[in-house]
Amino acid sequence: MIQDYLILSVILFCLGILGVISRRNVFTVFMSIELMLNAANLAFITFSRVHESMDGHVMAMMIMAVAAAEAALALAVVILLHKHKGKLDTNVFSLLKG
Amino acid sequence: MHDFLSLLPLVIITTGAILLMLLSAFESTKVEIASYISMGFYGVAFFVQLLIGCGPETTIFSETFNGMLVANNFSMAACLVILGCGFFTAISSHSYFKVNRFCTLEYYSIMMFSVCGMMLLTLTHELISAFIAIEIMSLAIYILVGYERKNVKATEAILKYLILGAFAGAFYTMGAALIYGGVGSTKFVEIAATLNIDKTISPLLLGGGFFIIVALLFKIAAFPFHSWVIDVYDGASAPITGFMATALKTAAFALFANFLALHTTMHDGWVTFLFYLAVFTMFGGNLIAIGQDNIKRMLAASGIVHSGYLLIALVAMNAEQFSGSVIAYYLAAYAIGTLGIFASLSYLGGEGEKRANFADFKGLAKVHPYSAAAITVFLLSMAGIPPTAGFMGKFYVITSAFSAGHIALAVLGIISSILSMWYYLRLIVNMYFHEATDTFEVQGRPLATAGTFVLVFFVFAIALYPVVV
Repeated sequence: MIQDYLILSVILFCLGILGVISRRNVFTVFMSIELMLNAANLAFITFSRVHESMDGHVMAMMIMAVAAAEAALALAVVILLHKHKGKLDTNVFSLLKG
Repeated sequence: MHDFLSLLPLVIITTGAILLMLLSAFESTKVEIASYISMGFYGVAFFVQLLIGCGPETTIFSETFNGMLVANNFSMAACLVILGCGFFTAISSHSYFKVNRFCTLEYYSIMMFSVCGMMLLTLTHELISAFIAIEIMSLAIYILVGYERKNVKATEAILKYLILGAFAGAFYTMGAALIYGGVGSTKFVEIAATLNIDKTISPLLLGGGFFIIVALLFKIAAFPFHSWVIDVYDGASAPITGFMATALKTAAFALFANFLALHTTMHDGWVTFLFYLAVFTMFGGNLIAIGQDNIKRMLAASGIVHSGYLLIALVAMNAEQFSGSVIAYYLAAYAIGTLGIFASLSYLGGEGEKRANFADFKGLAKVHPYSAAAITVFLLSMAGIPPTAGFMGKFYVITSAFSAGHIALAVLGIISSILSMWYYLRLIVNMYFHEATDTFEVQGRPLATAGTFVLVFFVFAIALYPVVV
């Protein structure tokens, strides 16, 4: 039972990585990152159950708070991008070539 | 009482950040006043940190914080470097924003918040509080990178940095989750206790450690996660680039060193991996730097090379009796050189940073001999020519690698250091051996110029009296 949750967490994490790598829309990329963070939260809560302590729950709450702050900044950036180019495709932004 | 004193610099900086945020609600406050206030807070915090010194390792308020924060000599030295970076960045911003007028009061407040995150990061000995500290630092830095909202380049830089930074943050949390699964706690002390009993790294701990190291390698811009750094440094404004290159790297390396030093088994397990990364980071960075025409991009690439030297110090460090003095000294030496160059670029760059390429600085020595001399000193320090701080830093890193038995790494470090002369000397040649085509009119320079010369003094001062080691 516990293992199923861990497998789900790993699947969610991999889906997140795939989304960040393959998607070109800024919104989808940020959503994929949220998915990865939530996969970590699920892992925390599952391990919390394994160790029978409440620490993991607290950490999941902390990560959620940080993820919310990051999402707020991400949305501000999306608005900024839209003002400049009118598009949210990451391919449009290629002025800087490292 | 010592607990409270160890935390006092952090409290001062946080108070300053909140005060500036409140002040920015009033229209009558001027940007320049905000920069003086922030300089004052950095200065006070710096001297408080210096006066406290640090006795034995203290766990700050072990009851209240559950042993998450630990102050020792290494954290004190790193905090001093970070506070110094904040101070000199405020000085160069003051001059930079006299020409480039997009600054508001919140700029200085956000910078202080990021310093507060960095200082917390050097103190923390626990994975989740470290994550929160990283995010306090990073979120503030993202905003600073994209502060010039009308500039498309800055917007692109913030987009790239935010996506990749958040991606690395997700890796970090997953790593913390796996380590929590393996140990049942995220505190470094508990992880070390588990490793003491097991003597080997369990699969969960190995995977977790890998994820966390990947995230940290991203933050310090090491190979293969270095490509973002050049674009982001190029897009950000000059003072912020200097701030990122120095303070952020110091904080990230402090956490990296603390994480690896938590147990000998942990350090030994990752030494080979870090060995190759150090080599690739040094030579990859050199190759990129040689090809650049833009000075900020060259400095970004040279920052990658310096991350490589610091990785050598991480490989060579002694996890059993970890003092971190070599790493702290190198970070201080690198910070002084880099801050100095970016302070000079802040007032020499002109409106919209129009002087950005090597060719734009031709003949600078004929027009501004003192500024050119100062830049030369910083470049020689970064290249590692005696008797500068950079030379002493490299000397300590290479000797620590020798005494730890990593002869090959030490030799490769020296070779990379010779290669790096190429692009540092190129700027010096441009400044001294060409006729001036530009008039190099600069405005608003007094403060940044003064800061530059103070930094020149420090380059020699900490080289001749290496107090940290």
